[in-house]
Amino acid sequence: MIALNILLTVCAAIGYGFGIFSFFRGKPPLYVSLIVYGVGCAMVGRLFETLQLFINGEFTGDFQVGMFGIIGSFMFFFSANYGQMDSLVDDGSAKYRKYRIIALLAPLAAVLMYVGYVIIEGFGKSTIIRGAETLLVSSAAYFHLKHLIIPDVENGIISCIRSYNLLGLFYAFLCTAEILLQVIPLPNFVLIILYVLLSAVTLLIVPVLWRGVKKWTT
Amino acid sequence: MDNLSYIAYICIVVSLGLLVPLLDRKMLRVVVFIIVGASSCLIVSELNNILLHLYDDDLYYVTTTITPITEEIIKAVPILYYAIVFSDDPKQITACSFAVGVGFAMLENIIILIQDIDSVTIMWAVIRGFGSGLVHGICTMMIGMGISFVKKRKKLFISGVFSLLSYAIIFHATYNLLVQSEYRYFGIAMPLLNYIPFLIVNRKDVSKFFDKFRARSAEKEEVSE
Repeated sequence: MIALNILLTVCAAIGYGFGIFSFFRGKPPLYVSLIVYGVGCAMVGRLFETLQLFINGEFTGDFQVGMFGIIGSFMFFFSANYGQMDSLVDDGSAKYRKYRIIALLAPLAAVLMYVGYVIIEGFGKSTIIRGAETLLVSSAAYFHLKHLIIPDVENGIISCIRSYNLLGLFYAFLCTAEILLQVIPLPNFVLIILYVLLSAVTLLIVPVLWRGVKKWTT
Repeated sequence: MDNLSYIAYICIVVSLGLLVPLLDRKMLRVVVFIIVGASSCLIVSELNNILLHLYDDDLYYVTTTITPITEEIIKAVPILYYAIVFSDDPKQITACSFAVGVGFAMLENIIILIQDIDSVTIMWAVIRGFGSGLVHGICTMMIGMGISFVKKRKKLFISGVFSLLSYAIIFHATYNLLVQSEYRYFGIAMPLLNYIPFLIVNRKDVSKFFDKFRARSAEKEEVSE
């Protein structure tokens, strides 16, 4: 478990480091900065969890501060998608209604997975914090799916970052799956696959976004 | 004997308060925010005592999980208020938020010193001074800097503030976790490793260097295309 957490922390640190390094090469749009800080938040959360496992051998209590890593990172993603990007790609008109409705499938899937978690785990302290986590994951996932399927505006602003949105959606799904898998007794290799995928996504999310955003100015 | 935390608080605040009428506007702001930081610490110390009892006096759990949350929230409140009501200037907000953190750390160190007076040493003071002073300063400064960015963007404000709080809480909790373990020197190094690059990057000549570097990178990219 420690090895998997170390892998996750290192991958997030590389992704975050790449983002910070990119800041020195060119002034990034606020949208990109928010995503980079989101990955940074995930990194410090994973670092805390790794250190706690390393020092104490286990997590102390139902609730630990590392959970804020996921919460914070999805809050950053949500801020970027809702606060910076959404108004550019969706003018609120009726022609985009079907995309808004289809995008609801992402939060619905996240909520269903959370319901599964509550049914297995029962109601307690951890279900509240996991509920908050799911709420934020699903809000960010809604915008990731919406920006993945919505037709492009004139400037091609959203088509450049579709692969990033796909990764973001996948990341949201993996984080919710991580919550659910904690209470389902499954063979170890499933957890290993999940953590390896999570590591790969946290590593790639910033470079993929950066590659897309560079096309905005060219 | 009266509560020693209050006695220490009065000693600090009265001395700093005497300085207030003599200062210009810029200095005054910093001193006032140091006082605000010390006041936040007093509030938090009372709150943390209540929480400690609620968690069956489990000091380790409370200091690595609960106090980073209470401390960061209470330190952020005055900065949030200042940013919303008084100032738009990121430099001012950053300086004031660092001052809140320093004021907080000052009183916190004194309270810990009072509680454990027999075991404190010069080394303890140096470690606490750098470690706790910087952690509180950096965490509040992160929130302050972020607030100055998201303040004018209504859609970003609430989620932005909460994400920054999450960041600061984890950073603080990681420090608390490390300094209570056998790897305490990593804990002390952690805030320094964040503070020194921050100081370097924010120097005017270094900023100019990066601006030139950015311009050169942009030129190179244009040429290659």
